[in-house]
Amino acid sequence: MAKSYDEINERIRQSEAVVVTAEEMIDIVEDRGAEQAAEEVDVVTTGTFGMMCSSGVLINTGHTTPRMKIQRAWLNDVPAYGGLAAVDIYLGATELPLSDPLNKVYPGEFRYGGAHVIEALVRGEDVVLRAEGYGTDCYPRREIETLINLRDLPSATLLNPRNAYQNYNVAVNGSRSRPIHTYLGILRPKLANAGYSSAGQLSPLLNDPLYRTIGIGTRIFLGGGVGYVSFAGTQHDPTGERTPGGVPKGGAGTLAVMGDLKGMSADYLRGVSMTGYGATLAVGIGVPIPILDAEMARFTAVRDRDIYAPVIDYGGAYSENTGEVLATVSYDQLRSGTITVQGKEVRTASLSSYSKARAIAGELKGWIQRGEFLLSRPAEPLPGVDSAPGCGLLQVRAPNGKGKLRGLHGPR
Amino acid sequence: MSHRTVVLSFPRTTVDQPLISTMVRRFNVEVSIIQAHITPDEAGRMVTHFSCEEEEMEQALDFLRQSGVEVNLPLKNLVRHEQLCVHCGACVGQCRSRAFSVDPVTAEVVFDHTRCIACELCIPACGFGVLESIHDRLAEEG
Repeated sequence: MAKSYDEINERIRQSEAVVVTAEEMIDIVEDRGAEQAAEEVDVVTTGTFGMMCSSGVLINTGHTTPRMKIQRAWLNDVPAYGGLAAVDIYLGATELPLSDPLNKVYPGEFRYGGAHVIEALVRGEDVVLRAEGYGTDCYPRREIETLINLRDLPSATLLNPRNAYQNYNVAVNGSRSRPIHTYLGILRPKLANAGYSSAGQLSPLLNDPLYRTIGIGTRIFLGGGVGYVSFAGTQHDPTGERTPGGVPKGGAGTLAVMGDLKGMSADYLRGVSMTGYGATLAVGIGVPIPILDAEMARFTAVRDRDIYAPVIDYGGAYSENTGEVLATVSYDQLRSGTITVQGKEVRTASLSSYSKARAIAGELKGWIQRGEFLLSRPAEPLPGVDSAPGCGLLQVRAPNGKGKLRGLHGPR
Repeated sequence: MSHRTVVLSFPRTTVDQPLISTMVRRFNVEVSIIQAHITPDEAGRMVTHFSCEEEEMEQALDFLRQSGVEVNLPLKNLVRHEQLCVHCGACVGQCRSRAFSVDPVTAEVVFDHTRCIACELCIPACGFGVLESIHDRLAEEG
């Protein structure tokens, strides 16, 4: 028997909805079968907490007197983008202060970046805003230096173009010489260790592998507050190889998400310094999945042993884009602490936090059980498996004199 | 047999004396040197493991103290600011002595300091600033 969003939301309003986490759903479907589970369970909650570089905050600072059109801005010395309307600025998570030595002394530490400013804002700390403008008739002010605080800002919106990757690579270092520093951690040579980053059986898009319910407009847990899926994320590419159960065997779907920073918490938004790589933001996301029918029950009962990821050599094949896959392993194997690659036992480490993912799924479950959080039906689905690839290589073409400033009327 | 982590601070006046080898011969101590920062004409610091009979351990440590070496017996080889930890597991992948592991039930990272050999490979691997060198901490505290 199929259920509708309206029926599920009515049960949530009455505090009668049966809500379980994606971990709990595994046993329910195993014990009672998908048909019965779909009868009994209304919502399955998912969660993930990991480094999501494509994240940032869109801030409206409020207007100054006299007014100012901010062209360039810095928050705690980290540059923010000002190429927007007067007092809108965008601070990216991976942005770094101009004074940062980067990787000049390798490996760089990247102690402070945009992500750390975002964490400071969420913690309620004062942040120094410094900005410059060129002055116009309507916006004459040219500079400002002031403390700002999240509680006083007219708006601060977490606006993340690519989060919650549906599955991801497992990284190893096949070189023979030196450790490498990647976004999947420090990898020792000769396949000494492997890094991976997915909540596996708890991960949002792995519990709705064909995007039947997660789409544009889906209300989600974002950074400890409420947010929305605003679009398919950049590099959303549903076209890759999948298991018979529909689960992609490598990176596939992604989500663009937005939400009010003011409702969020530093428990679920943390600045991260990746040695030799850069600064990034650890983001907590939880997506509720309505159990509309038995198929959704089956999807949400996915378990780590049924989810596979490709092992890629980040000491060569990854940076050179060769597409070579050293091995395919399951998340069950990854969580066991060792995998086998080319006959060698390799230690594994998760770069995302499974315990935080579990906490997020649990927190979202509580919100829904208490009737505080309703499900939204997507306005549009995400591009599905039959759509065009969303991730590809850049064709490099010589400019040959193109791209010069020509102004409004073209060449004279 | 007694095993201890011992952090030794050598003032400038002791750097040129063969104190460790004298101690090893006299008290039959097995010494594993985990870290050493010793430069002639400057103070130095060593992080070590001592293994020997209980009685000789005390005598060996007394010998070093009487020779002017500052002896620290930290309970841990590594400072872990646990409140900052998100329990990802980046440290686990670096830890060859298996001091760090993931609890299979709670999925949280646990640290068994008795297994830690203070190699400190975990410190740069942690992006959340959880881990700090005991060496740096002692130096900071003077």
